[in-house]
Amino acid sequence: MVEVKTAELMASVLSKHLEDGDVAIMGAFSAIPMLASRLAQMTHAPNLTYIAGGSGAINPLLEPLVASSCDDRLLKAEAVLPLSDVIDFEAKTEIDIFFAGGLQIDKQGSCNLLGVGKPGEIKFRGPGSVGLPFLSRARRFAIYAMNHNARTFVEKVDFISGPGFVDGKDFPGGGPSLVVTPICVMDFHEERMQLKSVHPGVSVDDVVQNTGFELRIPDNVPQTGLPTEEELELMREIDPLGVARNSL
Amino acid sequence: MRRLYLILSEGRLMARTEKVLSAKEAVERFMKDGCFVAIGGMHMHNNTMALIREVIRQNVGAGRLITSPSGSVNADMLIGAGLVDELYCAYVGMEHLGLAPNFRKFAESGKLKVRECDEAFVTYTLRAGASSMPFIPLPKGLEATSVPSMNEDDYRWTSDPFGGEKVACLPALQPDVALVHCQKADQYGNAIFEGSKFNDFLMVKASDKVILQVEEVVPHEYMLENAMRVDVPAFLVDAVVNAPFGCHPTASHRYYRFDEGHIKEYLRACKEDFDAYLDKYVRGPKDNEEYLEVIGGREKAKELIEGGVPW
Repeated sequence: MVEVKTAELMASVLSKHLEDGDVAIMGAFSAIPMLASRLAQMTHAPNLTYIAGGSGAINPLLEPLVASSCDDRLLKAEAVLPLSDVIDFEAKTEIDIFFAGGLQIDKQGSCNLLGVGKPGEIKFRGPGSVGLPFLSRARRFAIYAMNHNARTFVEKVDFISGPGFVDGKDFPGGGPSLVVTPICVMDFHEERMQLKSVHPGVSVDDVVQNTGFELRIPDNVPQTGLPTEEELELMREIDPLGVARNSL
Repeated sequence: MRRLYLILSEGRLMARTEKVLSAKEAVERFMKDGCFVAIGGMHMHNNTMALIREVIRQNVGAGRLITSPSGSVNADMLIGAGLVDELYCAYVGMEHLGLAPNFRKFAESGKLKVRECDEAFVTYTLRAGASSMPFIPLPKGLEATSVPSMNEDDYRWTSDPFGGEKVACLPALQPDVALVHCQKADQYGNAIFEGSKFNDFLMVKASDKVILQVEEVVPHEYMLENAMRVDVPAFLVDAVVNAPFGCHPTASHRYYRFDEGHIKEYLRACKEDFDAYLDKYVRGPKDNEEYLEVIGGREKAKELIEGGVPW
């Protein structure tokens, strides 16, 4: 059996989280979610629709998977719309699942791309909140993190770009449903993040040490299920250049 | 004789104004120092870099800058040249290649005023500007972020006159000038986006003056034959600047890819000696033609076309 890369493991986990009939959307820097979406269409979710962020491409064929969310190779798709139309879908709660990330992610699943520091004293300027405020209007959202450490997974984000389970929230979105990182998978229990599974070679203690808040640990934490050989083959067909595979 | 004239000019008795200008003329004529500038394209695609480089050569500043919504080298270079006072910031970065160094430096030091926003802000505010709405209310939820509290200039509150609920509102923005890339335009300014349209037509509609940077100027007859595909009608356009490969180092959809090697060089230069970069690539060459020679001419162009468009 070929070696499973961490990025492929993450894509396979995210893929299983996508349901047939879902409308999914992703923004910048989304090689792993794109791989997961295309894989889901080829395995269990033929009616999944996915929108490749700023390009406006709907169901790009990904031949091959590319690094930029606005690459013109994504226009080999079944429809390509102006961004303002994509914004309308997000606003009208048409999105079943949004893929999100952040410089900081907190225990309630809020994501921060704005920066680190305090208002008026931003020590580390992030790129900006982009599409994350629309997490408040998606049926659910999945977080993918390119690293897992106590600087990223924090008790409370310095700024909310995309709201998770914010106390006293009043918006239509369903909140975060899954978190996939290079070392583990997490979900939510009573609106707080909890460990779901650890990747091969990772201990529960490794996860605890690298998380900046008290993570809920259930009694039984299994190992993350590996992609099947068929899934791996499909992923390598979708991503012949290794854009997602080698992104970690 | 009269009949021949009518055929030649589609029934017009006087010659129609052609709008093809050099980048130098277009920027001199339509961009005033301190004005409100909108720049199109998304991430490392369709950035009007030939115009941005000309703006830096002429040292004309933007009092305010808005990107549509994801800025990249375009915004970062203007900021690094010290030409932006205030930025509507939904996103400025280089996607998988990293953060935008000049933007970070200027924002962290306070030299750049950041008007915090998001992609919805850019879309709605331009939509409102495009149709002269007095302001535009936001769908619920977008205000549940830190963004409104970080930008009280642009997020205000009112009550819904129909249901009474409190809603967040944005102003209608009408930039003074938009710099937008289309792959094709005719001499009058009718233009086509051959790839993604992004939010660029919205930006054109909302702005007062519009400078289009294009890969090729095609005959007006091409637009007459392809009217259903024309995205931008000429009357909205003030200048057409012909700049083949002028989006470099970013991509022009379906014409050429972004130049990852050059963008990495740019990112390094930002950290080491940004002035040297500007001297070599921006202030040194007097126009787009000379710029292309500096980056490696036709050979570089061929490399970025990468076997032509993929379909």
